[in-house]
Amino acid sequence: MNEHDGTSPALRVVVVGMGSEYRRDDGAGPAVADRVAELFDGVANLGPIADPLDLLGLWDGAELAVVIDAVHSGAEPGTVQLIEVGTAPEGESGGVPAGTTSTHGIGLAGVLRLARAVGNAPKRVVVVGIEGDDFGQGTGLSPAVDRAVPHAARHVMKLIEEVE
Amino acid sequence: MTHGSGAHRTVAVEGLSRVEGEGSLRVEVRDGVVQDVALSIFEPPRFFEALLEGRLASEAPDITARICGICPVAYQMSACAAVEDACGITVDERITALRRLLYCGEWIQSHALHIYLLHAPDFLGCADAVELAERDRAAVERGLALKRTGNLIMETVGGRAIHPVNVRVGGFYRAPTVAEVGALVEPLRRALDAAVATVAWVGGFDFPDVEGDYRFVALSSPGRYPIESDRVASSDGLDTSPAGFADMVIEEHVARSTALHARIGGRLDYLTGPLARYALNSSELPEPARQAAEGAGLGTICTNPFRSIIVRAVELVFACHEALRLIAAYEPPDPPAAFVQPRAGVGTGATEAPRGLLFHRYELDGNGLIRTARIVPPTSQNQITIESDLRRVAQAALELPDDELTWRCEQAVRNHDPCISCAAHFLDVTVVRQ
Repeated sequence: MNEHDGTSPALRVVVVGMGSEYRRDDGAGPAVADRVAELFDGVANLGPIADPLDLLGLWDGAELAVVIDAVHSGAEPGTVQLIEVGTAPEGESGGVPAGTTSTHGIGLAGVLRLARAVGNAPKRVVVVGIEGDDFGQGTGLSPAVDRAVPHAARHVMKLIEEVE
Repeated sequence: MTHGSGAHRTVAVEGLSRVEGEGSLRVEVRDGVVQDVALSIFEPPRFFEALLEGRLASEAPDITARICGICPVAYQMSACAAVEDACGITVDERITALRRLLYCGEWIQSHALHIYLLHAPDFLGCADAVELAERDRAAVERGLALKRTGNLIMETVGGRAIHPVNVRVGGFYRAPTVAEVGALVEPLRRALDAAVATVAWVGGFDFPDVEGDYRFVALSSPGRYPIESDRVASSDGLDTSPAGFADMVIEEHVARSTALHARIGGRLDYLTGPLARYALNSSELPEPARQAAEGAGLGTICTNPFRSIIVRAVELVFACHEALRLIAAYEPPDPPAAFVQPRAGVGTGATEAPRGLLFHRYELDGNGLIRTARIVPPTSQNQITIESDLRRVAQAALELPDDELTWRCEQAVRNHDPCISCAAHFLDVTVVRQ
């Protein structure tokens, strides 16, 4: 336990799947996170998260946080993009698009800025984006997105190996 | 954005980010009078109701927990209560106590998030929580520490801080040990102090002078502040069971929204949530919460929706205090879950989500399969009242410049912490002046 506030010691690697599996391709992030957690012991899969604000307090002080999220940027469905979130100058998002490519308009960028403002941000944050096709109600990924899941998981595992 | 000039103006603001869900708000003003207010929201319970048909009743807690990323425990608890009611099961008091402890975790993390990161910036003239952190880092750190304590309870009792996995119909898969639960005491003592400081902090904000004429509806449980209960009460004398209340509530489809609008008997609008819980149950608050409320100038009833932030802070004090009380008396339930024999029947369960009353009603067949499901979240119950608030608030603030009027309207929505749920997280606001 952390003496200051009773939280668990900082996790080295945090994997977060953003999105809802009940909004079709929005479930791509949780699907990749689950796959990674199955293959790696000791990786904290924080579960499907719908609101980036939930990251506050959960990813504090991690060496690496990999945020996997469905995106909607106009690329081919299933396209996997890695966005390294650098050390952002004050007031900037550090490479994280501010809510335009995700269904989470509250913005990972804002949450990261907030975490940095209070000194709790992970040392390294990488966003793994998977281009979605269908964000309607229902379960199941569309075929191109489903095929991209193992590909995205390999990217995540490579990032983890760099820490391990 | 502002269009036009003089008597004919359109004010449009897009991307209000501090409401959880997707939706839009439109206010129409003609000749200095607010003509129409429409809060259009997307709400997924309708989809989940259909999804649940034909599924095992034992799956209901986990499936419905995915409706809301912010209050999964509320969905789990109302689902369990409804299925257990249908199957004629009453769980052990130790299971009820452990459920209440888990629920305290959700109240703490949800209220801390709303107070500090979503609502307080409104009162302090900050665009968002990042700006607030730049101005008052200690305040935001206090809020985040509170949220972490809530998360810690969820993790200890629920098995995971987000979307707990330890809940099942009948109780829990595993009861935490006395030592595991005892480890929460120190963080909770600090959280209790932080919660008391929160009440004093928000009590010093400036509040618009607006009073609502509300019909409050909340659970009622004599002897304790309600989280779970088998009675529903209202400020105009209603006292009934969750099933009785579910029968009274009639929901209407409204073309502009996927949410249903709920009214008692199809004609009486009402408000659930912190203001309602407090108005109907403030006498049941423990002493530290009552003292904090008094210190912040709250009476036994609060009808100024902007001051709901103080009521939420008082409920934070209650939740920390209640969690400590439950831990002091904790005995692990053994077995951790009651055996639930499926049977054909209808059951209703209601609990107090951070945002208000959430009730589920399931009709089961003899194999434990769900034949029909009805899920009524707080936001659809509050929606008509939120619109009435908006009309009142907008009318009283028409002299403000467009940007301030729009902000005031956004605040009026945030006062009720609507969970428009887990889709895109923004609300488009449009004010039309003619």
